[in-house]
Amino acid sequence: MRSVKAIFIKQAKDMLKNPMILVQFIIYPAVAFIMTELIAKSNPDIPSNIFVTMMAAIFAGMALILSMSGIIAEDVERKSLRMLVMAGVKPQEYLLGAGGFILLAGITVSAVFGLIGVFTGLELVKFLAVMVTGIVASIILGAVIGILAKNQQMATAIATPVAMILGFTPMIASFNGTVEKMASVLYTQQLNVIVNDYSANFTKALAVNGINILVLLILFIFIYRRKGLRG
Amino acid sequence: MIEMNSIVKRYGQQTVLSDVTFQVKEREIFGLLGPSGAGKTTIINILTNQLEADGGNHRIGAAAFEIGLVLDEDGLYVRLSCLENLNIFADIYAIPHTKSLEALERVGLTDAAKKPVNKLSRGMRQRLALARAILHSPKILFLDEPTSGLDPGTARGIHGLIKDMRDSGATIFLTTHNMDEAVKLCDRAALLHKGSIVEQGAPADICDRHHAMKTVPDLESVFIKLTGVELG
Repeated sequence: MRSVKAIFIKQAKDMLKNPMILVQFIIYPAVAFIMTELIAKSNPDIPSNIFVTMMAAIFAGMALILSMSGIIAEDVERKSLRMLVMAGVKPQEYLLGAGGFILLAGITVSAVFGLIGVFTGLELVKFLAVMVTGIVASIILGAVIGILAKNQQMATAIATPVAMILGFTPMIASFNGTVEKMASVLYTQQLNVIVNDYSANFTKALAVNGINILVLLILFIFIYRRKGLRG
Repeated sequence: MIEMNSIVKRYGQQTVLSDVTFQVKEREIFGLLGPSGAGKTTIINILTNQLEADGGNHRIGAAAFEIGLVLDEDGLYVRLSCLENLNIFADIYAIPHTKSLEALERVGLTDAAKKPVNKLSRGMRQRLALARAILHSPKILFLDEPTSGLDPGTARGIHGLIKDMRDSGATIFLTTHNMDEAVKLCDRAALLHKGSIVEQGAPADICDRHHAMKTVPDLESVFIKLTGVELG
């Protein structure tokens, strides 16, 4: 637990000094706020929360994959992870510390989205619940990519298309029924469905996202056992 | 304190270590000497369990948390300050943050405590890596080329620190390709060539056995004597 806390604090301090990661936690709520204030609030034909839900879904589906994979790949490439492991930090403690901080940061940003948007109490609960499942899934997927990649460049090269497919599939699905059916198994699609329509089947969305997390967790364990995380 | 018996390591068809055997006693500075590619880092990696040997066995008389390491790549967090880097490890070792300041003082980096690592010179980074390695007063210190690429002044400072660590009870295992450094620093040394140890013992004994005792002109001492200033 001591090591998890040390990694968590390290990650917090490092992120504040890392513009590449920090910007991903600021840009999406900032764009949502600006677009909501400038466009949505002054145009009655546009749903008031459209930019909040759009940016929130992109944030949970894309930004966190890039962040988590980038953090692990950097620590592996710079041999910082090797020094931690040699100091007695277990790889799982490292992942819990780094992932735990990204989870907290993700939940904080989700709460900011909640403040920017106009939600009823129940809508806000549903919004935050489905965001948390999306954030957890993205963190696990980011960790898988971070372990697979040999360096930061490779992590970005893998994470960017994966994040774009996951982030943009729900948009394409809204124009094409076949894509919509196929995309319904993705956590980003369920995230998109719930944040855009709170009367949609919430239980189904949580169940799909739960299965996504489970599948990603199995994939993570498989990759972790094969590749390890010694840096 | 450290033992390696008949260690063999292969990468595919290539044998990089063959029948490597040596012992390091408690509270001594043991140097592994050899050119680049001789297998020095591979031996450190095997001793610190980062790499598995294909044959033979090894033993270390300290737990993982009682070992300090300075490796070829420092693994420092470049955006964090010197003090923040050390405090991460102080938290992991469950020692107070005041120890981080003490370690910085020992390597002469007190003034740079709040400086981010990416603003440090190579020599300062090396000293910070050493501060991290000695932070928890380890029983064994592994140093892979600790003064490689450093100016003579900084290297001498690091030599002093290594001797201090030995005098305060630590066992030091270092690799170097600098023969002068080994003579000045090591209680005992092993000469490694193409993955095999060709000679070992106290540096003076080794030279004596091979009739290689000689007095060399020491320009550095002359410079210090004439100017009162250390090189670098």
